[in-house]
Amino acid sequence: MEPVIDLNCSLPSEGTFLTPFALIWQDILAQAMTGELVAALNYTALSTICDDPAEAADALEHAAGEQGHAAAFAAEGRKIGVDVPNNVNAKHWKRLREAFMRRIAERDFIGCLIVQEIMLESFAVASYARAGKVAPGSMGRTFASIAAEEEEHIEHAMAILRTERALDAQRFDDKVHGLHLEVMTTLAEMLARECTHGHCEVCHDSCVKPSLSEVSLTAAELRGASLRQYLKTLDMLGLPGEVTLAWVSQLPV
Amino acid sequence: MGESVAGVAANVAQQAPAIDVDFALIGHQECWRAAADVLAVLRGPEHPPLPDDEIRDIFPWIPPRAICHVEAGSIAGGKARGVYIDSFIPPDRLDANYMRDNLARVRGAAAYAIKAGAKIVSLGGFSSILIEGNLDQLPERHGTVFTTGNTLTVGFIVQGIKKMCALEGRNLRRSTLLIVGATGDVGSGCARCLAPVVKRVLLNARNMERLRTLAAELEADGVQVEIATGLQQFSAEADVAICAASLASPSLLLGRIAPGAIVCDAGYPKNLSPSGQMAGAKIFFGGLGQITGGLRFKPDFQGILNRHPFPDVVHGCLLEGMALALERRFEPFSQGRGFITPERVEEIETIAARHGIFLAPLYNADGPVEDGVECLAGWSAG
Ligand SMILES: NC(=O)C1=CN([C@@H]2O[C@H](COP(=O)(O)OP(=O)(O)OC[C@H]3O[C@@H](n4cnc5c(N)ncnc54)[C@H](OP(=O)(O)O)[C@@H]3O)[C@@H](O)[C@H]2O)C=CC1
Ligand SMILES: [Fe+2]
Ligand SMILES: [Fe+2]
Repeated sequence: MEPVIDLNCSLPSEGTFLTPFALIWQDILAQAMTGELVAALNYTALSTICDDPAEAADALEHAAGEQGHAAAFAAEGRKIGVDVPNNVNAKHWKRLREAFMRRIAERDFIGCLIVQEIMLESFAVASYARAGKVAPGSMGRTFASIAAEEEEHIEHAMAILRTERALDAQRFDDKVHGLHLEVMTTLAEMLARECTHGHCEVCHDSCVKPSLSEVSLTAAELRGASLRQYLKTLDMLGLPGEVTLAWVSQLPV
Repeated sequence: MGESVAGVAANVAQQAPAIDVDFALIGHQECWRAAADVLAVLRGPEHPPLPDDEIRDIFPWIPPRAICHVEAGSIAGGKARGVYIDSFIPPDRLDANYMRDNLARVRGAAAYAIKAGAKIVSLGGFSSILIEGNLDQLPERHGTVFTTGNTLTVGFIVQGIKKMCALEGRNLRRSTLLIVGATGDVGSGCARCLAPVVKRVLLNARNMERLRTLAAELEADGVQVEIATGLQQFSAEADVAICAASLASPSLLLGRIAPGAIVCDAGYPKNLSPSGQMAGAKIFFGGLGQITGGLRFKPDFQGILNRHPFPDVVHGCLLEGMALALERRFEPFSQGRGFITPERVEEIETIAARHGIFLAPLYNADGPVEDGVECLAGWSAG
């Protein structure tokens, strides 16, 4: 219980028994909530570079949706008696956000979609879906339904990206590869079975990964599911499967 | 993960063909060492190989996909272009517990072949066993046909047996032939080809009913047949044996066979347990052919996807698709189970030979079985 108090979290509501599992879910929710807030910031930034007012409105709507997801994760935390912290400046998330903001600075709408919708959302969809299968009660339903919502909004981006790829497949694939090296390398480090680069700055105490098995998850499974989702998404865009597999196999472990 | 892999099947088929190919080969890795080598090639020489535990964690998550382009040359002059598609079935998950997931993987691989626009697809090793009866569930095929490749496999197993008998100075006509996995597609094809030229056949599989049906068919042609579900139950010892059971791992112990018996292990993965003691048995790996008109992989998976001690050796099941592609005969040559006849075997052997696809030099875990045949530098068993 102590780390919870250290983190300035609210005490469990009367009669609630705070289990060690709650602390594990607190960390998982914190990562998810941070990811949602990063996504909300990204979509807000994206709205500023959209030429088409309809696209801009769409991006703002997405930003609000991601805020809603973050709030839903926070609410799930409260139900199990923990406050869910977040830190969009935690080192990995900051790097991911910076990669996105470089695309914004270049007014590279397509690059933004690739980073957010193909790379970050693959991670979200896959890991939420896994969490949805094992999280208790309403938290499980929340993870699963947010995973489904994320998958839905990818569809819109896919249509734009497919059209873009049809113009010049080689150029498009090269661009994806460049972004892959920048963004997926960071995601792979986050998803590595063990953190070798020190504290992630999101987990409340030591890294949550070694404890995931206590809630029937593993870091290896979250990584595997995320990378598979990413490969499947690239397949749907039409990138050659043998090429994307080589990229993924070269990521750090 | 079954549903998600199956999802790939639906998704990939929506895409326009990315590569123009004559044939696709669907395969899976037989051991973790092979799986590790595949990932090492994909990573490239500039990245150190992944640790074994990471490989075992990552491999099962890879959705079925092409890993390289393949070009097969004919001695008659033509060329056929294809892709090798791995279903990424983890080598230790071939058993019945993983049936649903593995079927989804093979369907994903088949959908990938359709997407690639392959005109003919060879279903290597367990792929045909898994997908049999489920081919109609694939996405719309746009002219892609599938062959199990088992007819040419049978051809090479039978040729191998005959060659080995010649090398050992044995008279096949006086032999007692045991077939393990006799009621399977490969096993029954071997039985039909060899029963007329041996003294008697011993048929083994687990299902008695199917054994009886096959025995009745062979007996109608005047063959002496004995059937048993247990290898210890036969009244005689075999001096020639073919192992063609669909075993998930090399676990077969032949036990009672004649000393010095000729034994063909045709499994993919292998049937015979490495711990099986068979005094003086002459073992060889069967069903393998060699493509003499040239075989190229891009990126270079030579010796990785075809881990044999000689160059350009490939499983018969995969070679059948290549032979038919070189012949420009895009038809489902081997389909279903139990329809392989000596006539069909001869037909596919003739096609294969026309393009320079012949029985591979015989070898086993210790290397070549023939004197004077050199194996590739750096080849190691296992
Ligand atoms: N060398 C090559 O190029 C090729 C090799 N193969 C390999 O050949 C083998 C057979 O393939 P295929 O004929 O298509 O498969 P099938 O599924 O058609 O037949 C399998 C046979 O094995 C029998 N069997 C399964 N388990 C056992 C067991 N524990 N003991 C005895 N018999 C058993 C089955 O009968 P029952 O269920 O009644 O026991 C059946 O007779 C596989 O390993 C396959 O990968 C296939 C193609 C090419
Ligand atoms: Fe979200
Ligand atoms: Fe999202």
